Amino acid sequence: MDFYLGLIQIIGVHTLIGLSAYCVLLTGQVSLAQAGFFAIGAYVAGMLTVLWSWPLIPALAMAALAGGVVACAVGFPALRVKGLMLVVATLAFGEAVRLFFFNFTYQMARGEIRIGPHGGEGFKQIRYFPENGWTTFDVVIFIWVVVVLVMAALWWMDRSRTGAVLRAVGEDELAAQSIGINITAVKVSAMTIGGVIAGLGGGIFAHYTTHIEHVQFGVVLATFAIAYPILGGLSNVFGTLIAVIFIQGFLIEGLRFMGDWRNLLFGGLILLAMNVRPRGLLDAGTTLALKRLIDRARSGVARMKERTSA
Amino acid sequence: MGKRRVPDVDLLDLIDAVQSVADGMLFGTTYALLGIGFTLVFGVMHKINLSYAAASIGAAYASLLILAGVKAPAPVVFLMAAVAGGVIGAVVYLVAFKFIPLANPLATLMSTVGLLLLIDEIIVHATAGVPLNYPALFSDVLIRMGPFSLRGDLMFVFLLGCLCMAGLLYLLYRTRLGLATRAVSQQPVAAQLCGIGITNVNVQTFVITGVVGGIAGAMTGAAIGMLSPLLSLPLTVKGLIVTVIGGLGSIPGAIVAGLLVGGLENAFQFLRGVSERDLYIMLLLFAFLVFRPGGIFATAPGRE
Repeated sequence: MDFYLGLIQIIGVHTLIGLSAYCVLLTGQVSLAQAGFFAIGAYVAGMLTVLWSWPLIPALAMAALAGGVVACAVGFPALRVKGLMLVVATLAFGEAVRLFFFNFTYQMARGEIRIGPHGGEGFKQIRYFPENGWTTFDVVIFIWVVVVLVMAALWWMDRSRTGAVLRAVGEDELAAQSIGINITAVKVSAMTIGGVIAGLGGGIFAHYTTHIEHVQFGVVLATFAIAYPILGGLSNVFGTLIAVIFIQGFLIEGLRFMGDWRNLLFGGLILLAMNVRPRGLLDAGTTLALKRLIDRARSGVARMKERTSA
Repeated sequence: MGKRRVPDVDLLDLIDAVQSVADGMLFGTTYALLGIGFTLVFGVMHKINLSYAAASIGAAYASLLILAGVKAPAPVVFLMAAVAGGVIGAVVYLVAFKFIPLANPLATLMSTVGLLLLIDEIIVHATAGVPLNYPALFSDVLIRMGPFSLRGDLMFVFLLGCLCMAGLLYLLYRTRLGLATRAVSQQPVAAQLCGIGITNVNVQTFVITGVVGGIAGAMTGAAIGMLSPLLSLPLTVKGLIVTVIGGLGSIPGAIVAGLLVGGLENAFQFLRGVSERDLYIMLLLFAFLVFRPGGIFATAPGRE
């Protein structure tokens, strides 16, 4: 049972990093830096609860804030580069963050042992959950409450003018500028929101894995982060969720019986998916079809209610 | 008496530093070749092929595996790597680019990522994850020039890289194929109106970059002495950095940037050690992006 709970935890945290990439992708920027903000959130939250004994929620809030601040700082120079150069710039930033944490040592003595991040060895003993009596199930509930809140916030944002403005900038910057949208503000805001979500996800990640090291925050995580929204489709947040469940649940865990061949299948499936459905699993057309289905079901139920009550 | 620094130590340090930079620049030709590959594909198709470095290493592996039973001399292995690279390049185009509509840059980005993962896994499967030795030419040659020494194998890598670059420039600027490639990169629609087949040109571009990549992979193997699947990600990152610093779409830029990054990489390693070396390369990239986003040889802005 613990195995499945662990899987659900992973899916939750990866959904958070996928949603952070989703925010930035809406404005047409491909950011491979989300893993970097994730790492910053992880180390900040870990250090706050372990070294300075902060309670969990304020530590996570600080982690989210740190992620947001750094993302804002990255967002401004990122405006100077477009398209594919942004990919390289954010990739380099993510790698720079990882290398920073590879070299980062800050230890305090706690009785006999020294705790804190220790360069290449990473940050061990982030034991907030076990020390405060949280069971695995408690952690799962916590993670998913956070995920649902973030998804609800993004869904609400999508349906409001903010979402329309973000997508307008993503679709055609020139047209958006000509109707008076401030491109700079929109892009930096999207980057900042993405950084906040990634920082939050990182903070949670640090606590449930209890041991973080620089290797976990490399190019692979950054690639997964943008893979989820691209594979899931950018039309709504559920696409990202479905993509995370598909990749983490089905491909990585469900096909475990295939052993080493599973990794081959992973790359191959991404390739196939992009050739067959370039706009993602839940693209605009599918969303519309689903919406029509739901509307038809709803009107069908309403009609049945009328008939039975009449 | 008093504090007097021993002059010998300073001179030795200086010699070591220059030696490092020289070695780095020689190795930088491999980065330059990778940068040329990235930039050529970007120039022609306006897309990035993230699987390029992995395909280059894959071509080097393929040359080893094809000639596994035969005790072939090193030049034959390099040639095989180039040929394998060309074949892999054509396959990459077919699988990751041909069938995805041009208006979907995200989809091609993701498909090349999928291909990168696939190639890496194929390499790991085929070799059981064990690094393979790669033959090098002139590895026992050491030219001494006063206090400096030039490694023979690095010199060979450098010369072969230069030959490759010269050949590529000749191909692009003096042949019909090169003319067609440049036409498609500047104005695809007008090129089609002139009767240039886009698909053909794209396939040929990928084959050419594949050959260049194969040579780059072989050179990397020859310079390091062995091939490992762990090489593909760092090479991808370095190759992309070289491309951006040189200017997207500019081949001379990629060449200069490759040598620059190669030399500076070793300089940083000499000054601050291996673990911080890559951090400074990233900082160099950021400096360029802030002060000169177009790169060293920024291509003139065309119609977007």
